[in-house]
Amino acid sequence: MKTMPTLREKKRYLAFKIISEETINRRELTGELLDSICLLFGDTGASEINPSLMSYDGRYGILRCQKDRTSETRAALACINKVRGGRVSIMVLGISGTVKGAMEKFIQQRLVKEPEPDKELQEHLNH
Amino acid sequence: MPLFNAKFFDLMVHLPDDKGSLAQFVSAADEFGYSGIAALDLKYNGTDMDQLPSGFSLFSAVEVSGKPSRLRDEIKKYKDTGDILITRGRDEEVIRAALETQRLDILLQPVKFNNVLSKLASDNSIALGFNIGSIIHTRGDDRIMELRTMRTNLKYARKYELQMVLTCEPYSPYDFRSPREAAALAGLFGMRPKEAVDAMSSVPLDIIRKKSPEYIQEGIEII
Repeated sequence: MKTMPTLREKKRYLAFKIISEETINRRELTGELLDSICLLFGDTGASEINPSLMSYDGRYGILRCQKDRTSETRAALACINKVRGGRVSIMVLGISGTVKGAMEKFIQQRLVKEPEPDKELQEHLNH
Repeated sequence: MPLFNAKFFDLMVHLPDDKGSLAQFVSAADEFGYSGIAALDLKYNGTDMDQLPSGFSLFSAVEVSGKPSRLRDEIKKYKDTGDILITRGRDEEVIRAALETQRLDILLQPVKFNNVLSKLASDNSIALGFNIGSIIHTRGDDRIMELRTMRTNLKYARKYELQMVLTCEPYSPYDFRSPREAAALAGLFGMRPKEAVDAMSSVPLDIIRKKSPEYIQEGIEII
């Protein structure tokens, strides 16, 4: 049965970018994220934040959290500094009220700005 | 005006010895939204200051340490070099000796800070540093201690109206965190977003202004 619209909890979607030495898979990131939140805010805090990784492609991702817990989620993301022994840094690109908004405003715009690695290499070789 | 629409600075960056590292640090800081960094011992490791992105500033900082008697001489040695002088506050005697000299700029994360030391810092216009990196890189008991220290220091900083400085203290380009993340981390020990933004923008700018050759004293300028 669906939750009544008035009782539905408001969400926020954080678009983020991972800067890491090695590629991190979805499972490792989810585990590290939950660890970080639980260590910082405990189990009660984690249940209030209610984090969920909506999408992740190895570099960019979207994380869902409760509307009034965005600051805590940011702090927990900032505390992730190592995954599988490799150094990691997570940069939040922006926060949106919808997955579509987060994707279009923060991730797709960045992808358009960044040149494709193959093209960049080709140009470099031509010169 | 939005709160985070300012120029942000990190005044305590540790550069490794290899020469290519500066470019990596600068590009990481630029990507994370910083307008400038102060690197420790920048002038002394032969780095090239010309290869910087437009609008990005690079400053030199020095971490002064040692016994209380030597610390005063060290600070005097660097007073006219234009370097930003930073002391780490581990020992109470060292903190006192550092705060008694007027030329110190930042006292970073003092462990045993009290009202007497706060008054000294206030009289000599020394900013109190908060190291966000210690929250990121420690876990468990160590992090609890760090957060407790920062919470206490924040109380003294508010009571004695001390200037506050936030730094990630990066040892590698992966240690940078964007200003919004730094403010969120500062919120963990009770710092308000406005205070955090000032600690990364207006206070570092004020310290940099005081270090410029044109600066003589507060309220005096050459016309």
